[in-house]
Amino acid sequence: MDKIRRALLGQIAKLTAGAALVPLSSITSADINDQPPRREGDPERRYAMLIDLRACIGCQACTASCHIENEAPLGNFRTIVSQYEVEHEETGNTATFMLPRLCNHCENPPCVPVCPVQATFQREDGIVVVDNEACVGCAYCVQACPYDARFINEYTQTADKCTFCAHRLDVGLLPACVESCVGGARIIGDIRDPDSQISRMMKEHYGELMVLKPEMGTAPHVFYLGMDERFVSRPDAKPAIWDVRDQQGEEIGYEFSGH
Amino acid sequence: MNSAVIEVLAPRYGIAWYPWAVQYFFLIAISYSSLLLTVPGLLFGKKNYESLAKVALLVTVSCTLVGPVALLADLHQPLRFWHFYANLTPWSWMSIGSLLLPVYLILVVVYAWLAWRPAMQVQAQGEGWIAKLSGWVSLGQWCAPRWMLVVAGLGALVLSVGIMVYTGAEVAIVKARPLWNTYWLPVMFVLTGLVAAAGLVILINRLMTGNDQEVNEQSLKVIFVTMVLSALVAALWVSEGITGFSPSVEQAFASLQRNPEWRAVAIYGLLVGVALTLSAIAMLRRPGWIGRSWLAGLLAVHIGWTFRWMVLMEVQTVAKNTAGYYHYAIEAGSSGLMGIIGTFGLWLAALLIIDILVPWKKSLQASTH
Repeated sequence: MDKIRRALLGQIAKLTAGAALVPLSSITSADINDQPPRREGDPERRYAMLIDLRACIGCQACTASCHIENEAPLGNFRTIVSQYEVEHEETGNTATFMLPRLCNHCENPPCVPVCPVQATFQREDGIVVVDNEACVGCAYCVQACPYDARFINEYTQTADKCTFCAHRLDVGLLPACVESCVGGARIIGDIRDPDSQISRMMKEHYGELMVLKPEMGTAPHVFYLGMDERFVSRPDAKPAIWDVRDQQGEEIGYEFSGH
Repeated sequence: MNSAVIEVLAPRYGIAWYPWAVQYFFLIAISYSSLLLTVPGLLFGKKNYESLAKVALLVTVSCTLVGPVALLADLHQPLRFWHFYANLTPWSWMSIGSLLLPVYLILVVVYAWLAWRPAMQVQAQGEGWIAKLSGWVSLGQWCAPRWMLVVAGLGALVLSVGIMVYTGAEVAIVKARPLWNTYWLPVMFVLTGLVAAAGLVILINRLMTGNDQEVNEQSLKVIFVTMVLSALVAALWVSEGITGFSPSVEQAFASLQRNPEWRAVAIYGLLVGVALTLSAIAMLRRPGWIGRSWLAGLLAVHIGWTFRWMVLMEVQTVAKNTAGYYHYAIEAGSSGLMGIIGTFGLWLAALLIIDILVPWKKSLQASTH
């Protein structure tokens, strides 16, 4: 991607992060593929997450704790930290870049209106959840999410995703990923409460916050601090790790390509 | 700053729609397309299109019956299909489709029932269990007025437009996959559906009737016209991407850049398309070649199916966020190869059962009144 487009995307990312702070006017009726009314959850709150990338060391503690807390099947992740090795082409210096990914609990979540049975919905507090007793497993929401935040859980055969650990938030606990983050990089809170830590940090770093894939018009509510514009959309990168199979074709692990 | 980026840890995301989806989109497209092919002969009663209508009606009914089975199988929770009707969701294209599909299916069956009924009533006069069954299925010897056929046919046509729109829109609205997110996709589904339907009509015409030259000729003309239109649509789509007129198509191109496999796919598509168009012209022009139309028929069915395979399956291997492409290896089980073979087996069974029970080669109701 050339420099100008990269800079432009970065600007859009910043602007979109700003626009997301203005709550969308309440949506009353829904045309085809419009957002349906929200239900459940506390209408006084709007949960969001701020990820301070300057404090993320890529330890994957969030990945592991989320996996244990939410019992995701092996190989599926509600959250994961993308790790990039960035090499300066002229100097050869390398640096690493960590990017925790999870559901963005968008203000305009494209996964919600596509659901044919209203199994996935957005709560009044902004959290996007799936009622897996209602879900038919059509996987339309998996296709519609631009962030690959959804998958079909092979145990339940229904759609699965990050819920900001709503079951924990509702009883006053922090999400597993926030609780286990060694650097304190993940900050969750109510952005309608001006005194919450997230509100204060968002105010302080207003011009620096970015969101992922702003061009999708989803108004994500996971904000990144210390973000690099080149990683806002699908980065122009090469994959390094491939799966390794034994002679019987069974997967036994991973290794770096070229080693 | 120029830099090279390596994604150290790239999780692999499995595909979420299985080959069942390809089977559904393929069969339902053939269904509504061959329904169109029955219109001149059956609905308008044009004598020289009657043979085409007979074959096309058989194709329509068999595909309409089997398509929804594949759709049901693509749900990870197929037994929960009733949730569609317990939670009507007018803002979801898939929910709208779940309402259109059963009505369409019923209208197609009624349309075919009325068309085949006079011949079945004659068959009911005979001896044996098929005659007895024909008597039950035709619900007596009373004569159904032609307006009933016309109403059912027009109803099925109106609903078929609904099916075209919903199957196309359902996929085309997904912004997260730029390769789907284009207005041209629904158009292309219809055009390639017509190509495949005309191809299948030619094949059935070769295998089950006497390779009627008129049917071959009419179907080849449909193939030629729709292939030319498909080329036009493909050209418009590509030009939208190159000029940046559509940011989404531009993104779609960017997502495939420097990928040799996708380049090979594009070249293959172009070659097969040109081959089919040219062979349709050649067969229409050379009097001796029309008997070999089944070759073009095979190619046409191949194009219709492969287009859906590429769009629905291979596009899912284009990563949304991570580096590289996912590798999709088709499974042997029911969510893979067995699903594909099973759907075609079911379709063949439906075709043969209709062939045994229904005297579909006899005059249709259109010509008896």
